[in-house]
Amino acid sequence: MVIKRSVSLTQAVADAVEVAAKEDGTSFSAWLSAAAERQLRIREGLSGVANYEDQEGPFSAEELAAGEALLGRLLSGVTGVASRVRRR
Amino acid sequence: MSRRTALIYGAGALRAGAQGDRLIWALHRAALRNGLVPIVSVGALADASRTEENHELLEELIRGCEVEILDRNGALQIGEVAKAAETADLVAVATALLADEHNGAVVSTRQNSLRAAAEALGHELVLYAI
Repeated sequence: MVIKRSVSLTQAVADAVEVAAKEDGTSFSAWLSAAAERQLRIREGLSGVANYEDQEGPFSAEELAAGEALLGRLLSGVTGVASRVRRR
Repeated sequence: MSRRTALIYGAGALRAGAQGDRLIWALHRAALRNGLVPIVSVGALADASRTEENHELLEELIRGCEVEILDRNGALQIGEVAKAAETADLVAVATALLADEHNGAVVSTRQNSLRAAAEALGHELVLYAI
């Protein structure tokens, strides 16, 4: 089911969405809907991470840095193997 | 070497997450905080669900993932690639296909079948092996 809602956007955002939707071969509404869906998924996922930390203990600064570093390494396209850090 | 724009979890990554692997969870957090939603195949999820007892953590991990639903054409494509790669490991093939389609880096166990599937696709595999 699809519902209609009136939303307000700045001119700059509306223009950028228009361009992005055209590039992605979709409509303005579908692009906005997909972006909202993505944000909701991220929000949901971070809630899952918070529940993990509640159960298993909060991340240390080193662990957070290790996660960021591994992400950066993977996205940079470099292959390789890093060591595992098991639960404490 | 080419930059990747997506993160693909194989069954090995899901298993590690279900077992509470802190690096996998720190990576998951980093991905989400950087606006990246990891992608998993239905096969990888089914496989991890089959082998892991801790479904609670698996489900918490999946809350922040996009699960790719398999349609008829996707199933046929997996079969074709598996044949070319000479493997019966359809979960690994599905993971390699996702990596190719989404320009993704893969987190999974080191598997010959994953590499064979990537080769059959002509895809340069970027893998973090756990």
